[in-house]
Amino acid sequence: MLSIKDLTHVYANGVRALDDVSLEVPKGMFGLLGPNGAGKSTLMRSVATLQTPTSGSIRFGDIDVIAQPEALRRTLGYLPQDFGVYPRVSAYDMLDHMAVLKGVADPKARRDTVESLLGQTNLWAVRKKALAGFSGGMRQRFGIAQALIGDPGLIIVDEPTAGLDPEERNRFLNLLAEIGENVVVILSTHIVEDVADLCPAMAIIVDGRIVRQGAPADLMASLKGRIWMKTIDKAELEAARLRYQVISTRLFAGRTVIHVAADTDPGDGFAPVSGGLEDVYFSTLASARKAA
Amino acid sequence: MFLKIAGFEFRYQTRQPIFWVAAILFVLLAFGSVASDNIQLGSTSNVHKNAPWVIAQSSLIFAVIYMFVTTAFVANVVVRDDDTGYGPLIYSTRVSKFDYLFGRFTGAYLAAALSFLAVPLGFLLGSVMPWVDRETLGPFMPQAYLFAYFFLALPVLLLSSAIFFALATVTRSMMWAYVGVVGFIILRSIFSLVLNRQGMESAAALWEPNGIAAFGLATRYWTASERNSLLPAIEGYVLWNKLLWLAISFGFLGLAYRLFHFETGKASRKQRRAEKLAVAAQDAPAPEPQAGPLPRPVFNGATARAQLWARTRLDMGQVFKSPAYFVLLALAALLSIVNLWLITDVSLYGGRTYPVTRVMITALNGVFSAMCVIIAIYYSGELVWRERERRTGEIIDATAAPDWAFILPKTLAISLVLVSTFAVSILVAMIIQTIKGYYHYDIGEYLLWWLLPQAIDVILIAILAIFVQAVSPHKFVGWGVMVLWLISSLVLGNLGFEHNLYQYASGPSVPLSDMNGQGHFWIGAYWFRLYWSAFALILLICAYGLWPRGTETRFQPRLRRLPRRLKGPAGVVLALAVAVFVGSGVYVFINTNVWNPYRTHLDDERYQAEYEKTLWRFHDLPEPTITAVKLDVDLYPHAPKVVTRGVYRIENRTGGALTDVHVRFLDRDLQVRALALQGARLKATYGRFNYRIFEFDVPMQPGEARTLSFETVREQRGFKNGGQLLSVVDNGTFLNNFEIAPLLGIDREGLLKDRAKRRKYGLTPELREPKLGDPAAARFSELRRDSDWVNADITLSTVADQTPIAPGYRVSTSVANGRRTSRFVTEAPINHFFSLQSARYAVKTVVQRDVATSVYYDPKHPWNVDRMIKTADAGLAYYDPNFSPYQFRQLRFLEFPAPAGAFAQSFANTVPWSEGLVFIADASSDPSRIDMVTYVGAHELAHQWWGHQVVGADEQGGTMLIETLAQYSALMVMKHMYGPDMIRKFLKYELDSYLRARGGEALEELPLERVENQPYIHYRKGSLVMYRLQDEIGEEAVNRALRKFLHAHAFRPAPYPNALELVNDFRAEAPADKQQLITDLFERITLYDLKTKTAVAKKRPDGRWDVTLTVEAKKLYANGQGKETEAPLVGETVDVGVFTAEPGKKDFSARNVLAMERLPIRSGVQTYVVTVAAKPLFAGIDPYNKRIDRNSSDNDIKVTGA
Repeated sequence: MLSIKDLTHVYANGVRALDDVSLEVPKGMFGLLGPNGAGKSTLMRSVATLQTPTSGSIRFGDIDVIAQPEALRRTLGYLPQDFGVYPRVSAYDMLDHMAVLKGVADPKARRDTVESLLGQTNLWAVRKKALAGFSGGMRQRFGIAQALIGDPGLIIVDEPTAGLDPEERNRFLNLLAEIGENVVVILSTHIVEDVADLCPAMAIIVDGRIVRQGAPADLMASLKGRIWMKTIDKAELEAARLRYQVISTRLFAGRTVIHVAADTDPGDGFAPVSGGLEDVYFSTLASARKAA
Repeated sequence: MFLKIAGFEFRYQTRQPIFWVAAILFVLLAFGSVASDNIQLGSTSNVHKNAPWVIAQSSLIFAVIYMFVTTAFVANVVVRDDDTGYGPLIYSTRVSKFDYLFGRFTGAYLAAALSFLAVPLGFLLGSVMPWVDRETLGPFMPQAYLFAYFFLALPVLLLSSAIFFALATVTRSMMWAYVGVVGFIILRSIFSLVLNRQGMESAAALWEPNGIAAFGLATRYWTASERNSLLPAIEGYVLWNKLLWLAISFGFLGLAYRLFHFETGKASRKQRRAEKLAVAAQDAPAPEPQAGPLPRPVFNGATARAQLWARTRLDMGQVFKSPAYFVLLALAALLSIVNLWLITDVSLYGGRTYPVTRVMITALNGVFSAMCVIIAIYYSGELVWRERERRTGEIIDATAAPDWAFILPKTLAISLVLVSTFAVSILVAMIIQTIKGYYHYDIGEYLLWWLLPQAIDVILIAILAIFVQAVSPHKFVGWGVMVLWLISSLVLGNLGFEHNLYQYASGPSVPLSDMNGQGHFWIGAYWFRLYWSAFALILLICAYGLWPRGTETRFQPRLRRLPRRLKGPAGVVLALAVAVFVGSGVYVFINTNVWNPYRTHLDDERYQAEYEKTLWRFHDLPEPTITAVKLDVDLYPHAPKVVTRGVYRIENRTGGALTDVHVRFLDRDLQVRALALQGARLKATYGRFNYRIFEFDVPMQPGEARTLSFETVREQRGFKNGGQLLSVVDNGTFLNNFEIAPLLGIDREGLLKDRAKRRKYGLTPELREPKLGDPAAARFSELRRDSDWVNADITLSTVADQTPIAPGYRVSTSVANGRRTSRFVTEAPINHFFSLQSARYAVKTVVQRDVATSVYYDPKHPWNVDRMIKTADAGLAYYDPNFSPYQFRQLRFLEFPAPAGAFAQSFANTVPWSEGLVFIADASSDPSRIDMVTYVGAHELAHQWWGHQVVGADEQGGTMLIETLAQYSALMVMKHMYGPDMIRKFLKYELDSYLRARGGEALEELPLERVENQPYIHYRKGSLVMYRLQDEIGEEAVNRALRKFLHAHAFRPAPYPNALELVNDFRAEAPADKQQLITDLFERITLYDLKTKTAVAKKRPDGRWDVTLTVEAKKLYANGQGKETEAPLVGETVDVGVFTAEPGKKDFSARNVLAMERLPIRSGVQTYVVTVAAKPLFAGIDPYNKRIDRNSSDNDIKVTGA
């Protein structure tokens, strides 16, 4: 559906934010996972027609996105990573305004759209309040509401859950999950759970390159029997890093739990774990960085 | 701790951009005022650019403007902590409230004070620049800089700092601080409205917060030499004003301390908002039921229109809802209100006029338009950058909104904002009209004369600003570019780049008149608007093409995108715009540079200089005299065009044979179609100067007469870049014969007079009138050198619906072929100075004292017609018996349009008056004001004697014989009409005007009998001198002398009389003890300083009162530069008066005079005892200001002890 080929983007300061990215995104929810600064937002903006890549092509169905940005915008819903609001404008008025800009100009259609989305995003009660006073979660829900206007065929949500508390995050992901399966939804995030919970397909981007892609289940299956876990003291961490390919560490009850990747049981008290998506992500990151 | 906080704050403030921006801006302003020839703040040719007075005055003005900067400094010192969220962190430390508040304040104030050092620095830098003319600079006087900075400016900065610091600290809001600035300006405006009138000077000096009134009061009569060398003493109002406002400043600081609390008490704004949201969420009804699938977008014309409107509404809302807009609008409205209110109150002689729409528009023009330009530039930046600053850009840019849906709605939004802002100005003006009791609301005039042209011009500026912002890498860079553009548009003109074809959004001004509307002047202005609108459209399309949609910040990719965006309709519109731009530009150029000459003011100066260099050498040559004039003038008011055919009869009165005649046309653009001198041929032509020399085939013998015939055309084809032809207009043509007919020989008319400019062009330093008594000068009359009394036969034709008028008696009128022709013939010779007028007049004629008195007026201005006729009656009643019989059977007052000037002029039996001067005068509403209509009317009527019966020689004192005597005549009419006790307001006005004007003298102040056409001397001082003279030697004695003078000189040919002869006539009528008085009045610059120190009343046993006055007196002589030396005051008498009301106050009349005695006075302190019958309230010496007294307000004081 969305097909990205050989996409490269070099910023004015010489930073190569995208390096020969090629990606096929099918219908449904697609997760783009990557650490901060990996080029996710650059990729999202390029697809959203907000910047023209240095080279490469983007196609959405029949639309050549780079040559006909206008055509893509007519079927695009975009929630940027970080967006602001106009002062002294209420949620209702702003959504109404966005509806006009997105081509829903007929007053009745507009009212239906705005009211339905306000209800759907649970913003009905505060529709007359100024957006400037909204909390982060409310603002993100407003963001998804505006992205859904006009029944878009391509929806891009860039880092939507960053900074949300768990409750807000849940609410937001539920919203996303409701979006029909007949559209392409790209969810860019650095939070593994977002992808794990929602996406039947995903890709991992590191330093401007796509290093892994596939269905989360397949990727996790590929790690079967290769991830091992051990709880150690903090002091032992350095030694462990030297000996094993440590892909992640986290604290638990004051001690450090490490995951290492190994084709065979490393012994030494390591226990096998069934690799989660997080392990997929961290092992991919680890090997990508090693390669770099 | 205090010092640490202050130091920290000081360093913080000095690192802020505002510190440097303000410092640089004010250095430039101050520098420019000294280093540029074209900016003058109080300096004149005689007052140095770095005179102490100029430095003090400009520092005060800069300090007041600085209020906006100090507010930015001090208002945020506390608010900042709330905004950044650091407040609670700081409030929880151990720092004390005093240290925190005043440490911060002190630091910020010191930073503001440091930044204000820019002003003295700018002056200093400017005065050492090598290109500055040394003659315009005085010596470096450090005490002037110290005084101006420390004593004058710093307290002003402290006051504004304290007030706005207090306000911001107490309200915790920057917005309220700026609202406070506006409030402060309102208060100040009300103050000056109330206090800015005669008699209130001392109250104003004390209470005016910035000390400008106090400084003004202390120095108002300073002469050039005083302004160059003195500083006002730190005493009296100058000191008390500072102390008072220092105390008030500290009061505000104390108030801030009292009302400020560390603990915020209320939750922060953010918290409050969140709480409100939570409450809202609880109270809300259940959400709407889910609808089916969302509607799909539709892209058609309706959507496009909806998008345009939605974007426009949002952008407009963002302007209208921002507090800054209201501050700017309020500021514009307030400044306008002050202007609108005052403009009808400050006509000639402090008279009042009706607030007609034209006058209201004049008042709005400067201030309101300037504020709209600020709004346009400021909000263009805000609107263009709004999405990026608010970070809504990505959402909006990714929508399906077409590319035009960014720039077009923003342009539309700012345009609508500007139009509605202008609409507010109309509302404000109409409210003022209503308050002033004027109910003729001319909405059409407001729209066509004001809103439409102004809105277009400011919208053009807004479009430029939008373009600049669209391509600029930062909002502040864009604003900076616009400020540079503003400065350049001001400076370029001064440098001689005056063409509106390269001055963006400019065009020729359109003079307004009730009589003539916009005339044909609007045509040129709108051609320029078309030209610049096309250019603005080009800018808009380029801005559209380069609009930064998306997150790309680099310019290069946007430039690459340009061609693609220009494909389609945008490119077509662009091509059209280019075509209109080029086409209209070519047409404009043909009008301004081909059909009409384009000249800058520098070209004109050069022309004047070359004129003098080429032709002045002929000024001594003898020329024949014109004795009869026949003019046949065809006026085409709508063309505009004047065709003149004329014949002069010239006579050789020189006593020698003449070989040459020099024929000169004053107007260089006048086309001379034919010019023939009987028995002569053209010897030389100076075409550039419209100057020709004829040589007689046979020299012209003494007493011989010949004819000079000519045909000239004066016209304007199309429109000019500037300097439109104002004398021939659709309705209200007013020409004089100098504009269309030749002169013989050259005089000083039209040559450069300014000393600095003469130096610049290598001319002799001064071109002055011949000295008083110069026998060579007596051959020439003051008015023109080539003629005096002529028989005139003028035929004037114009369009049929207008009335043509020229001096002389109308002997015939005919209408044929759509034209009306009238012929005017004199019965006896008149002065060779004719007016030619034509308009659609209403006429009122009354025959009084055998004189047909008519007023020709515009039907819109009937208010003062009867008063003018009454004035004529009063004037004739006085002048006929006291001077000589009126020489005509008719007298006509005629209205002419305001753009031609705000003056009145007297031609033989014909007095044109500007519509802006007396026809809209509101003479009846306030009897305490000077009756301007009668005063000016009596003056002009008196010129039928002084100017039209007798004219002096062309030498020093010439204008005394004309203007001073007309002033005297008018004063006598006023004295007899209103009584001698009411004359003080006239004398006081003349005295104030004279004393104030002395400081502005560019060359040299001269005694009255040597006046060189200096209005403040021949009008203002002349009135005072003549009134005192008749007061001292008697009105009848003065009139006897005038009768004698008229008898000797009326209608006589050369040699012409001079001022010495008139002074001698006065001497002959004056007793021996008044001879010194005549010397003082006419031959010297004499000043007095009379002061009543105490006036004590004591009741006598017989029920009457003894009033003991202690007075101090001094007499001074001044030289031409204003340097004074004390002279003994001996042998003079003075009025000593006791009153029950203060002379000059509103209700004062003869009933309030208890005693008025004439008593001897000498230098120094002396006492008088005056006995009066009733309880005295006021007493004083020279209470009616008959003497030229440097401080006339301390003559009368309240009586104590009664």
